[in-house]
This record gives sequence, structure tokens and C-alpha cells, in this order.
Amino acid sequence: MSQATTTSAFQALKGTYRGVVKISLMLAATYLVAQGLTSILPAADYRSLFGFSNRTAVWIVAELHLMFAAFVLGVPIFAFITEIVGVATKEKRYDDLAREFTKLLAMAYTLTAMLGCVLLVLFIVLYPKLTGYLSGLFKPTWLLYIVLIFGEVILAYLYWYTWDLLQGAAKKWHLLLGLLVNLWGTALLFVADIWVTFMMSPAGIDDANNLVSLWDAINNHTWMPINIHRLLANVAFGGAIVAAYAAVRFLNAKTDEEKARFDWMGYVGSFIAIAAFIPLPFAGYWLGREIYQFSEQMGVSMMGGSFAWLWILQAMLIGGLFLASNFYLWLGMGRIPGGERYTRFQIGMMIVLTVGFIVWATPRSIIASGMEMAAMGGSHHPFLGLFGVMAAKNTAVNLMILTTFFSFMLYRRGNRIPVVAWATAGKAVQALVIAAAAVVVVSYGVYSYFVPSITRIGFSVYQVSAVLAAMALFVAIDIPLLKGASVIGAIRWGRIPGRAQYALFFMAVSFTWLMGLMGYIRSGIRQYWHVYGRVMDESANAYTMTHGHATIIVSVIVVIFFLLVSAVFAMATRHDDGKGAGA
Amino acid sequence: MTDMSKTFFKVFAFVVATVSLYAYVGQLVPQFEEHPPQKKVITPLTPVDELVAAGQDLLRGKGGCLVCHKDQERGNDRGPDLRQSAGKAAARKPGMDADAYLIESLVRPDDHLVEGYPKMMPSAMKPPANLSMAEVKAVVAYLQSLGGAEVTMKVLAEDVVAEKKASGPVHRGKALMAEQGCIGCHKLEGEGGEVGPELNKVAERIEPAQIAQKIADPTLWTTQGFQAGLMPPRPDMSEGDRQEIAAYLAGLAGKNYSPTGATSPWSHEGVRLGVVIAVFNIVMLLVLAWARRREALSPDPSPAGGRGETNAGAAS
Repeated sequence: MSQATTTSAFQALKGTYRGVVKISLMLAATYLVAQGLTSILPAADYRSLFGFSNRTAVWIVAELHLMFAAFVLGVPIFAFITEIVGVATKEKRYDDLAREFTKLLAMAYTLTAMLGCVLLVLFIVLYPKLTGYLSGLFKPTWLLYIVLIFGEVILAYLYWYTWDLLQGAAKKWHLLLGLLVNLWGTALLFVADIWVTFMMSPAGIDDANNLVSLWDAINNHTWMPINIHRLLANVAFGGAIVAAYAAVRFLNAKTDEEKARFDWMGYVGSFIAIAAFIPLPFAGYWLGREIYQFSEQMGVSMMGGSFAWLWILQAMLIGGLFLASNFYLWLGMGRIPGGERYTRFQIGMMIVLTVGFIVWATPRSIIASGMEMAAMGGSHHPFLGLFGVMAAKNTAVNLMILTTFFSFMLYRRGNRIPVVAWATAGKAVQALVIAAAAVVVVSYGVYSYFVPSITRIGFSVYQVSAVLAAMALFVAIDIPLLKGASVIGAIRWGRIPGRAQYALFFMAVSFTWLMGLMGYIRSGIRQYWHVYGRVMDESANAYTMTHGHATIIVSVIVVIFFLLVSAVFAMATRHDDGKGAGA
Repeated sequence: MTDMSKTFFKVFAFVVATVSLYAYVGQLVPQFEEHPPQKKVITPLTPVDELVAAGQDLLRGKGGCLVCHKDQERGNDRGPDLRQSAGKAAARKPGMDADAYLIESLVRPDDHLVEGYPKMMPSAMKPPANLSMAEVKAVVAYLQSLGGAEVTMKVLAEDVVAEKKASGPVHRGKALMAEQGCIGCHKLEGEGGEVGPELNKVAERIEPAQIAQKIADPTLWTTQGFQAGLMPPRPDMSEGDRQEIAAYLAGLAGKNYSPTGATSPWSHEGVRLGVVIAVFNIVMLLVLAWARRREALSPDPSPAGGRGETNAGAAS
């Protein structure tokens, strides 16, 4: 995808066709290289990559492909929504922002496709037997996937190239293209998820692993929960990366106008990331429940067995994300005239977030020496051990979500003063709603310690429901409350300290690392199975590595990803600079 | 160094520092590797102490029993304490002796639930444990040894046969043979015709790689007692598919054989991919030709003259 849109249908189609040629060549080359290599190489169930571990090679390339795929599937979702907002509000800045988002997809599409092709070659060459089994099982879906790839390429390129062509009365056609890009992309994601979820929770096969029902194999226990989880995660991840791009541009901005533009873009990106991030734990609960329903053993390995310690890392990452997003919002208050009225709430919110973070990251079993354990009377600390259980963690995370929501609502109100007659009563009800939700969350959290685990699990539903209901009610009151509100002054976009941009980088890195870690847990809980309980991993790499080893690989992947994404950012920046120079 | 490069290095250093922090925390949590369970051959001749040891390994490894149970003081309480299971087995189900109950509790755990425990245990003979009957009996022998009682569990010859069959082939070969109509003439796993030789143990006599060649060219040899020239050649079948069939037959004969998975670029998959690529390219070229013609015929609608790319910013 080149960095320019066109005003001619022919040129738009020509640009799109270039994309089709590119993907055609890539697919043909992938197939020929894979077949050529498998014909030359001696027969084997597994092969290594010039002495390099086949598992690590596939892991790194698969995760990088997944990250870029998440980006190119997530960004069009909010680009399309932003475009709709632009049409609805008739504010051109939204259309420009949506266009800026879409521009970032340009090189990311090519990188995603290239990584996907390399991954396919690695699968066929390094895991010939497993790939042969899976491709035989899911033969019809492979063809569908190829058709969907072509469709996605055509639609995405047309969406970009026709941006200027389909303006004014023709805008509806551009919106239709945006809708189709997203529907196509979602279908692509759902098809790719078939293979990965079948490996986790196989279905539709008989005792000899022969296919009995293709639909059952597709609609396995984890397919739909992972589809939804990934859809939300893609938006959150895309938002965070877009915000990081805006942060780089902000730091490099030479004019106030440029600073204002990228400050706003960074704010919108971070808002999208957090908004999509908040429902993610709920999608995660659903996925976890389905894993338990499929196999109690797999569920226990994930939450209470080999992988339990990685959830402490996850808690640290999510805690860091909450702190960074609030920090960014609070710094952002400085550019809002009247925002200083709410500074007094920040200390309280900071305390809730910090305590929540500490509770969430407290492990159930403390790492201790033999003497320390003897002194504690076991691996559970007599006091801190109380915070290591799900009762405390659910309470902490719900309060952190509630606090972040409250922080955003204060930000939203920053420069506005409600003028409706019922303003005081409305604000009081809002305060009560937040307080009531907090009381429900804490009460159920404390009560959890006095009931059996089977009852305790049900309490998390009440806690989550209380938080969601409070959020919905607060917003329902806020919208009419702020209608016609007097404005203290316009937001001074661009007037934000440079360190706020580092909060955005921190969020982008944390989201990416979190994605790498969760990907490892999801795949790792299959342990020594390629297809859980059905096709055993008989390679030398069938063991579960140490957490330290795994986190180093995740870190390497994240660093490579950011190097590649820097290239995407550089291309987008160069385009703008070139444009400036030419103007 | 330009301002932009400086920003890049500053931001990249920040990224590396953040990533390093997370990687460092990853080193602080307990470190351990988990290896797949070792394969052990259990036969009726396996001595009792080895059977008990194999049972312990299976219970702690492949069986995954300790995810919910415990066989020593420390462990999980999701399921009953296994140290008492053999001692209480005789009294659990009226009319059923201890050995039979212990086997049933592993193979069909839902048939009888110990009071106070929910229905949550999968059969030990189903995935993911997938134990054979010989392995189930080894686990029972270990459970008996835990209570200090005499180990009475015996592995029978049919348990071992069953074990061999349970670890049989998982290749696509079986489906491919059905697809190709092989069992019309050959007997396979109790089914099929007798025009050609039975194939259950063919890989004991002939190397799997040669079987794959024979499928492509049936004239290579003919088994004694069967008429030559009856088997049709399969030149259209990909090498990968032939290798899968060979691997399947090898598995039936108790041999391990790895198919290469290699297929010719002109295989069905290759042709299908080629067709999809061709269709999309042809359709796009037709649309392009149509758009060009339409543009040539219509008056110039765009500020850029309808040709050439325009700068995005200028257009907006």
C-alpha cells in the first residue's frame, strides 16, 4: 500500500491491484518454497532450523505475525468508528484522524503478510507431520482463508485509496467499504482461530483422531471465547500502538499545530486502548470457564499448576497499565482550563490504584527459604497470604476499574460546568452510584473469605455486575447533565508535558508484552501435546520451559516488534515530511 | 545526530528498559521445567515392584492425578486422598471387590462418586491422560502399595494388546485409504475385500517407503498367490498422501514411520491455490480495464485530471 490516496477510480483500482499482485506472489512463493524444501529434505516428524530450536523459531515468528495481524485488524475497527463520528458530527478533524489511523496500516499489511508466509513455511518444514494432520483435517478452511485474504487485501486497499475520492455525497460508499473491511477482517480472524483453538480443545474427531464432524471441530470449546477475546484485544492493542505513534510524532513536532494534532491523536488512541481493555477481563473469564469445562486438568494447570506464577506477572502488567493510563489522564488535566478543580481527587485515586496493584500482585505462596517457611508455618504468609487469593484479587481489580472510570469521567468534565437545574442532585446520585458499587465490591470481597469456594466463584459475577451497572448509570446521568454545560475554556491540545508521552510508550510496551505472555500461557497449557490429549509432541522440545526462559523469549519478541513497528512509523512520518517539503 | 534520531534512541532505550524490567521479574518467580512422562513398557511379566514404580510415575506424570489428588502429606484436596483409596475400596460399592472398584474409579469415575466430591474427573483412559488398561492397572498397583497392603493387581496379556492398539496410528492414512477405495480389494482392520492381500501386517514384510512406491506403481511387484495387474496405478495421488498411507500401515504393524508430508507443486492443493490466485488477478484486471475505459470516455472529473496519484494532504 503506498502512502497516498487517489482521486481517480482507475488509480484507486490500480493501487489495489498492486496489493493483489503482491499477495499473489507471496502466496505462490510460499507454496513453492515449502514444497521444494519438503521434497529435498529427508523424511522426519520434526526438523530444526539450522540447529536453532524449531519451537522457538515458530514461536517468535507466530507471535510477531499475531501482533501485526492484531494491529491491522484492530486499527480499521476504530478508524471506521472515528469516520462515522466524523460524518455524524460533521467535524472534519475526525475524518482526518480516521485517515491518519488508516495510513499506519500501509506498511503493517505487507509486514503481516510476509510474517504469515514465513510462518507457513516454518510450519510445513519444521513440523511436517503435525501440519499434514491439521491441514488434512481443515482442508476446506484453508481455501476459505486464502479467499478471505484476497478479499481483505482488496477491501483494505480500496478503503485507503478511495479516501479522497469517496467524499461528500459518495461518503456512504466509503463507509460501506470500511464496514466490509471490518467484517472481512473479523471473518479472517475467526477462521485463523479455528486451528489454534482446535489444538487447545479438540472436538469433532473420533478416538483414532479421524474427522467426524468439521463443524464440531471448528466450534470447539474455546473457539468463540478466543474470537471475542482477540477481537477486543486487537482494538486495545491497536489503540495503544497508535497512541505510541502519536507520542513519537508529538515529541518530534516542530510546530504548535503539529503538537496539538498529535496530542489529540495520542489521547484518542489511549482512550480506545483503555475502553477496549476494560471488558477484556470479562471475556477472559468466559474463556477460562470454557477451558475448565473442556478439561478440568487443563484449567487447573493454567490457574493453579505450572503456569500459576505467570498470573502474578500478568497482574503486574495490568496494574502498571492502570497506573500509566491514570497518570496520563491526570497530566492531561493540565491542558484543560478548570481541570485543576479535580486535582484533589488524584491522591485518593492513586492510593486505591497502588493498593489494588499491590494486592493483585501478591502471590498466594510466598517465595521463601526453608527457615522463612518454617517461621511462617508454611508457604502461605499468615497475613499477606490473605491477599493472594482470588477474593482479594477480584476486589482489587474491580476497584481499579472503577477508579480508572471515575478518573476518565473527571477528565471528561474538566472544562465544563453543568447548568441544568438538577445538577447538584445529579452529581450526588453519581457519587452515590460509585460509592454503592465500591461497597458492593468490598462487601462481597470480604464475605468471600467466609464461604466455600464454589459459592465464592459466583460472587465475582455480582462484583463485576455492580461495577458495570455503576458505569452505565453514571454515563446515563452524565450525558444529560453536561448537555449545554458552560465551558470554562477550550482544551489546549499540545500543552502536555513530554513525560505524558512516555506514559503512552509504557502502555504500548506493556500491552505488547502482555499479549506475548498471554499467548505463551494459552499455547503453553497444552504442555506436551500438539493437539491437547490427542496428538502428542514427540520432539525434543516437548517440555515446558522455565518461566525465566519463557519471559526472555517474550521480551525478545517485543523488542523485535518495536523495531519493526518503528519502520512503519518512520514510513508514515517520512510521508508527512515529504508532503511538507513538497508543499 | 538529528532531533528525530535522538528521539528514536531515547524512546527505544525506554522500550528496552521497560521490557528488561518485565523480563527481570520473570526471573524472580520459581523456576522449573516440566518434562513429558517417560514411556514405559508394562507386560504381564513386569515384576510387582516395577509395576508399582511405573504406576507411581503414571499417577504423578502422564495421568495428571496430582492436579486434584494427593499421594503424600502435601498436595491437592480437590479429589479424595489417594493414600486411603485402596484401603477403603472394598467397602465403597456393595458387591464389588476392591480391585474391580479401583479400576472402575479410574476408567469410569462417574459411576460412583465418593461423598463430598463433585463430578469432575475425566476417565483415565480418555484424553488427556489416555492410559491403556495395563497402565491403569499399574496405577492401581501403586494405590494398593500406598496403603501398605499386598499388591494384588495383575496385568493380563489382553491389556498389553489393547495398549498396543491404543497407541496406534493417528495419520490421515486410514481416511485416505477409504477415500481411494483400497478396502474394496484389501482387507484392513477386519473390513474389506479379498482380491488383494490383507494389509494389517503388510508393513512387517515390506518397508513403508516401498509401500508408498507401490501405490504409485503397482507393477513393482505382486504378492504371491494374487493376480498381477489388477491394482490400478495412482499417479494422481500426491506423494504426501502416499506417505500418509504408508505411515498408517506401518502403525498397524507396530512400526514407527514418518511421512515427509512433501507434495508436488501440481498436487490438488497447489492447483487450488493457483486457481484462487488466477481468479482474483483476472477479476482485478477486468475491473481495471473497465475503469480505464470508463475514465477515458467520461469527462475529467478530478482536480488532478483523473490521472496520477495525488497527495493525500492536498486532496483533503
